[in-house]
Amino acid sequence: MVQFNLPDNSKLTDGDYYKSEKSNGNTKKFKIYRWSPDDEKNPRMDTYEVDLDDCGPMVLDAVMKIKSEIDTSLTFRRSCREGICGSCAMNIDGTNTLACTKAISDVKGDIKIYPLPHMPVIKDLVTNLKTLYKQLKSIKPWLMNKKQNANDTENIQSRNDREKLDGLYECILCACCSTSCPSYWWNSDKYLGPAVLLQSYRWLQDSRDEERNERLKELDDTFKVYRCHTIMNCTQACPKGLNPAKAIAGIKQMIAQQ
Amino acid sequence: MSAKNTWKLHRWSTILLLPLVAYLFTKIIHLSTLPYQLILSELSNIWGVGFILIFTVLGLVHMNTGVHEILDDYVHSDVVKRILNLIISIFFLLILIFVCLSLLLIFIG
Repeated sequence: MVQFNLPDNSKLTDGDYYKSEKSNGNTKKFKIYRWSPDDEKNPRMDTYEVDLDDCGPMVLDAVMKIKSEIDTSLTFRRSCREGICGSCAMNIDGTNTLACTKAISDVKGDIKIYPLPHMPVIKDLVTNLKTLYKQLKSIKPWLMNKKQNANDTENIQSRNDREKLDGLYECILCACCSTSCPSYWWNSDKYLGPAVLLQSYRWLQDSRDEERNERLKELDDTFKVYRCHTIMNCTQACPKGLNPAKAIAGIKQMIAQQ
Repeated sequence: MSAKNTWKLHRWSTILLLPLVAYLFTKIIHLSTLPYQLILSELSNIWGVGFILIFTVLGLVHMNTGVHEILDDYVHSDVVKRILNLIISIFFLLILIFVCLSLLLIFIG
């Protein structure tokens, strides 16, 4: 059965408080989820005061400042710092988003930062995305075209066919959508989730791909697609402004028409 | 039944039930103004019986697929799911039998 309560060793406790040394009034409190596999302690919420006059405008800037100046043990993923790599996906102010594109000024009051919800935590804000990548692999996210491979010629696509991929190819696989989906929370082992299904739809829509029927046959499963109940959290959470819910509806339509 | 067909059945039953539910409400309001004998004669004619049967069957199909969706979502144990499915199927069958017996009683007076 679905577990509605956190196990005792997962319940949050209050953590340490790090006061800003240069307190000139323009500070903001960052409450950050901390958990380490190295000790057997429960997860805690540490509070850091950050001087905004000496910090970049984005949440990632503040988190990096905390790591480099206040607490070097804070662990998180980051890379491009411009919304391209999807590494710094985390739950900020109750919403899954990218720390590098979320402005500090967009959040009123203290900023609460948690790892992506309902995912196994490796440490602090780093979650284990192994299942998601395994699911991505299962949908074969590459072009399958035997003719083109045999002839080794250019595979021409019309402008209209290319336009069908707009709103799909931009996905950076940050997992903000999948981890905001209650259906994915309950059945992440069997339901593919919005991120993977958006990718799947991207290949289903590609005019150059020859395995559309096979792909659809693979998806026609009680759990892989049909756990989507159009809750639309995915669309609301997507930091790139994409619409995974529409892509899933498109997959359902394609399966129904098959 | 394949996942695709279950999904289609659920959607089609929703679409078909929409006008039937609207008709049911207007019918209930209309029947509430009539004396008892007239209500019985309204329900026992072929249209009344046909409507009730179609509505019951469609409603049960819709509820059955809906409940199965909920079980698939929240119940992860196959054994528990099978037991719950059986209980629900028996419950819906009893409703169908009850409706049929009621109609028979009305029909034969």
